[in-house]
Amino acid sequence: MIKIIVGIIIIASPFISGAQEKLNKLKAPSSPASSILGLQPTTVLSPKSYRSLETALFSNFVNGSGNTVIPNDFSLEFTPYWTKNHGLSIQEYLYPKSSLDQFIRNSSFSIASTQKFILGDSTSTNGLSFGYRTSFYFGNEKDREEIDINTKKLRDNKRILANLAAISNGLIENKKVTNQLEFIDKMKNNIFKAINESGIFDNIKDAEAITNSIITEIALLPQLDINAPDKFLNGVDSIIGNKLSSEKIFNEYKAYIKERYGFSVDFSYAFLLNFPTNQFEYSFVPQQSFWITPSYRFEDNLSFLKILGVLRYERYQLGYYKKFFANTQMYENNIDYGFSVSTEFDRFSLNFELVGRKSNSNIPSGTTDTNGNELFRKEKNYDIQYIGSFNYNLTDEIVISYNLGNRFDPITNSKNTLVSMLSLNFGFGTPSKNDIDLEK
Amino acid sequence: MRKTYRYKELSFAIADDDDVNFTVEFVSDGNIGQTVINVPGSNDPEIEDSGTKFIGKGKDLRGETTICVTDVANLLPDEDEIRIRFIVNGQLIIEHQNLKSEEERPLIILSIKFPKS
Repeated sequence: MIKIIVGIIIIASPFISGAQEKLNKLKAPSSPASSILGLQPTTVLSPKSYRSLETALFSNFVNGSGNTVIPNDFSLEFTPYWTKNHGLSIQEYLYPKSSLDQFIRNSSFSIASTQKFILGDSTSTNGLSFGYRTSFYFGNEKDREEIDINTKKLRDNKRILANLAAISNGLIENKKVTNQLEFIDKMKNNIFKAINESGIFDNIKDAEAITNSIITEIALLPQLDINAPDKFLNGVDSIIGNKLSSEKIFNEYKAYIKERYGFSVDFSYAFLLNFPTNQFEYSFVPQQSFWITPSYRFEDNLSFLKILGVLRYERYQLGYYKKFFANTQMYENNIDYGFSVSTEFDRFSLNFELVGRKSNSNIPSGTTDTNGNELFRKEKNYDIQYIGSFNYNLTDEIVISYNLGNRFDPITNSKNTLVSMLSLNFGFGTPSKNDIDLEK
Repeated sequence: MRKTYRYKELSFAIADDDDVNFTVEFVSDGNIGQTVINVPGSNDPEIEDSGTKFIGKGKDLRGETTICVTDVANLLPDEDEIRIRFIVNGQLIIEHQNLKSEEERPLIILSIKFPKS
């Protein structure tokens, strides 16, 4: 365990020390491809993490000798639409004109691989999986209200800041002031006018108070050097922005867009490709899955809570399992149904899922009817899975996930239903040369 | 402190009686922003997000440096950059680009002179 922790720290250190190159906060991976390969044990796929490219390297960072190694398991999810600019306005982004727009924008493709896909006779083989998913969001009146309020707040804020920055820069660039006192004198009325006319305060006294407070802080800035005024002007912009809570307004809106009120539904498909003899020419598609995941984000007091449902159809190729997992009981058709509840607090998130499985197969009975047609008997089974997940953002780019619970009977060693899995996920945006420089 | 990007000593030659139309074009997705162009006089033209505004005749813009400020933010989790084109009379004068990992809500300030053509 100590080796693992040391390995995590070694690998994480370039990211932690390079904190000035901040990337978007990452969520735990849940791509269809990584799920079908068993890299993530949960059945309910949480909505994707809105990245054009997402990668996951799963555990095994330290080998038996204590050396750091390249992990055996790897997954990647790719959203082609967001690799290009389209000049979408925020309104066009939030309210796509058609379902087709949503379908295209949210379409993502995933691939996962493992070098340790273990067959029934304990042979280690290569497993590859490919996945696809898209999602649709259905807003409601409360969402529209929230968007309108946030948009207005942000626009009002930007209008004031842009106006005042244009005036302050104009005063200095065009040599209309020669020192800090003259600058303050000329700016005071403009600040009050911009704030008061914006209507962000209900009464004139509040507008006066905030103006005075801004002016007091500007007076405390290091002396204005008229020949090198940029630092001073940046300080002025910063004071005005802080007093008008610019960063808070922006962050609240951004957070809301990531988790909007209302209903959404994800559709996913994935299949597994196995090379049982580790030869490229000899492969099977033993497993295919199709998910429908509806989710609902509550409003107001319950806004921290998200409920997801799941309906998954999984099909196993019995011929393959008969050949390579000789002593296991497999069912051709499997329907999973259940729900998960998730919540997120700052850097960590919790998730619990409960899923039932109904399986059946039509097995040749070895007899025929009077017309000579082969007869089948139907075999059925029921199973249940319950798993709790804990995800923690070590940094904005690294998520550590731990899953604990009881899974469906696995293909081999059917009594081994305990899930206790630790994984680490690194995230990259659309990478550029400057973004990914591990030696920084 | 958020980052300010300054583009100084930009210049666009224009005849006295020619109209000057200033265009802001948001190229990357999901930007929200306000542009104010500080011209001589009390009515500074403003552009919400992308758009074009008449900012005066060539002769009105002489002498002083015209300051154009765009306060922009990008709210999209899917977008990695902020890219904006600034255009005068259909001619690109500067294209601003920054990665969101560097700044999600930049302040962009252009100082433009309009000498006689």
